[in-house]
Amino acid sequence: MRAISKSFGTFLAVDNVTLDIRPNEFFTLLGPSGCGKTTLLRMIAGFELPTEGQVLLDDRDISSLLPNQRPVNTVFQNYALFPHLTVAENIGFGLKMLGKPKADIAAVVARMLKLVHLDGRGDNPVTQLSGGQQQRVALARALAPQPKVLLLDEPLSALDLKLRKSMQIELKRLQAETGITFVFVTHDQEEALTMSDRIAVMSQGQVRQVGSAREIYDRPADRFVADFIGETNFLEGTLAGSEGSMASVRLKAGGIIRAGLPEGGAPKADLTVVVRPEHAELAAAGSGTFDGTLGEVIYFGTDTHFHVRLDDGGTFIVRRQNTRSGAAAPETGARVGVRLGEGAAQILKD
Amino acid sequence: MALSAAQAGEARQKKDIRDRWLLSAPALLLILVAGVGPLLIVVLYSFLAPGSYGDVKWEFSSQGWFNVFFARDIFDDTVSLADAHFSIFWRSIKLALGTTVLCAIFGFPTAYFIATRPPHNRSVWLFLITIPFWTNMLIRTFAIQELIRTEGIINSVLLKLGVISAPVQMLYTDFAILLGMTYVHLPLMVLPLYASLEKLDFRLIEAAYDLYASRFNVLMKVIVPLVKPGLIAGSILVFIPALSSYVIPRVLGGGKNLMIGNLIELQFGQGRNWPLGAALSVTLVIIVLFAMLYYVRNAGKAGGSSHG
Ligand SMILES: Nc1ncnc2c1ncn2[C@@H]1O[C@H](COP(=O)(O)OP(=O)(O)OP(=O)(O)O)[C@@H](O)[C@H]1O
Ligand SMILES: [Mg+2]
Repeated sequence: MRAISKSFGTFLAVDNVTLDIRPNEFFTLLGPSGCGKTTLLRMIAGFELPTEGQVLLDDRDISSLLPNQRPVNTVFQNYALFPHLTVAENIGFGLKMLGKPKADIAAVVARMLKLVHLDGRGDNPVTQLSGGQQQRVALARALAPQPKVLLLDEPLSALDLKLRKSMQIELKRLQAETGITFVFVTHDQEEALTMSDRIAVMSQGQVRQVGSAREIYDRPADRFVADFIGETNFLEGTLAGSEGSMASVRLKAGGIIRAGLPEGGAPKADLTVVVRPEHAELAAAGSGTFDGTLGEVIYFGTDTHFHVRLDDGGTFIVRRQNTRSGAAAPETGARVGVRLGEGAAQILKD
Repeated sequence: MALSAAQAGEARQKKDIRDRWLLSAPALLLILVAGVGPLLIVVLYSFLAPGSYGDVKWEFSSQGWFNVFFARDIFDDTVSLADAHFSIFWRSIKLALGTTVLCAIFGFPTAYFIATRPPHNRSVWLFLITIPFWTNMLIRTFAIQELIRTEGIINSVLLKLGVISAPVQMLYTDFAILLGMTYVHLPLMVLPLYASLEKLDFRLIEAAYDLYASRFNVLMKVIVPLVKPGLIAGSILVFIPALSSYVIPRVLGGGKNLMIGNLIELQFGQGRNWPLGAALSVTLVIIVLFAMLYYVRNAGKAGGSSHG
């Protein structure tokens, strides 16, 4: 996808996006509601024409092809199953439209039914299926014609938590088994992190960062990505020196830390550094990177959050895994130190 | 204990049934007085003898029914099949079917157009569809006559433009009848079709395109099956009144191109043969009944097979 834009009237829904999605990859578009994920997906499917830019598939420009001419299928958010057809007829619809012989269609449909664990339900009307089953029919219907790319627009959002978890695993399995490129849309960061090979984080029509779950979580490029994904501590500081991909940053809260540089180097002398709460630990006052006063201590079952009031007025959260032996926690109001592990800090672009 | 509970349940059920009958009583009464009653009188009349100046003589006679199917030669009393009646029945059925098909062909795009307008505009379009209902059908029919008659507007314009050199005979043809009946009955097709199309989930159409369907297949494999209830309702609403049309064949078909309605009117009027008119009316009811049974059963079968 190259420099693609879409505007509705004067509103720019997708703003100059360039994405390179690799073959056989589980690629996720992640972003808050209204950021243009669906619009981007619809341009790949052919339901919207880009105002500018091109959609390329295997180096071929498909921007002007109609949806029924693209080797791309969609799993719609609301499934959009044909209510007047049976499960098998729904799954076979694409192949039938492609003019495949009846026997071939029947064979593929049987294979698809097995793949999505709906053997023997082929003759049921789709209206009699549960939400999860309908979801699987929608998946099978889109997979049956063997598209080059499968687009999935928040296919799991209508399911309850438990079903969603099992469908996530199911989807990963199907993607591995079929080897089809999946482009998956979600606004659920956990879903994106657990399922994807690579993720594009979007905001207001722009792609903010593309990378693996690890890269995006550990090395967020900018404030939006850092804030949108997971919990984050933001620390202000100034550049004290740099070598290679690392830099030294003098924190306002006190102390000097080594932090990863964003792509393209340090943006300016005044910087923001992010640290994930689980990448820091409490220490005795004076022995950590910087000191603060312990505020709230919140118990979460698997872990405990320590809110440390910094001397510059900010708050820093430290997350500690709870163990059975339970190391003694300091009292609220005590002076504590915060120690940052090597590679815990990352400098933001903005 | 158990017994009394069962008794109480039974009593309540009885009361339930009684209440239901009470509630539907006004509707049943109306159907009885306005529907079944007159029909019974028509059936009764069809078995009486004709009076000399119209009306009926109160004595049993099968002459009315005999005359529906057979004709007696006035000179030599030989009996032959009433070809004239059969051909009029057949003509009427053909014209009514033609009207239904034409209404579906013209009504579908219209209904689709309205259903795809933004919601707040739809009521305006629906309102426009009902405009023809504001004036009397007779007046509208005469307006069509004015358009298509030999010295009418269409012929005059075409002559002026030099498209034709002599006026085209349109009035008093089957074309004229079909045109008039399609025009008059079109809203009866558009409204139920629109009701179905409005409920249609247009994402299904996108899904079909996504699955390589051509425009034609989207229409035939997705849209038409989904709006079938509307299509059936519309067809019934058009076919029945079209079959018993009276004014349109009279005004636009002239005296020669009769339909069943005109034939019946003739018996009650000039023909002064009320029993024959009554028997023809009952025959018409029976034709409609069979047509509906056939149609509903087939439509149900086609719909049923895809629903498993
Ligand atoms: N047909 C349209 N006409 C006008 N504006 C539109 C149209 N479709 C989308 N938009 C606007 O474009 C923006 C992006 O919409 P889009 O549906 O792509 O968001 P999304 O990221 O999929 O959100 P969600 O997570 O809520 O589904 C929204 O602000 C929306 O209002
Ligand atoms: Mg969306």
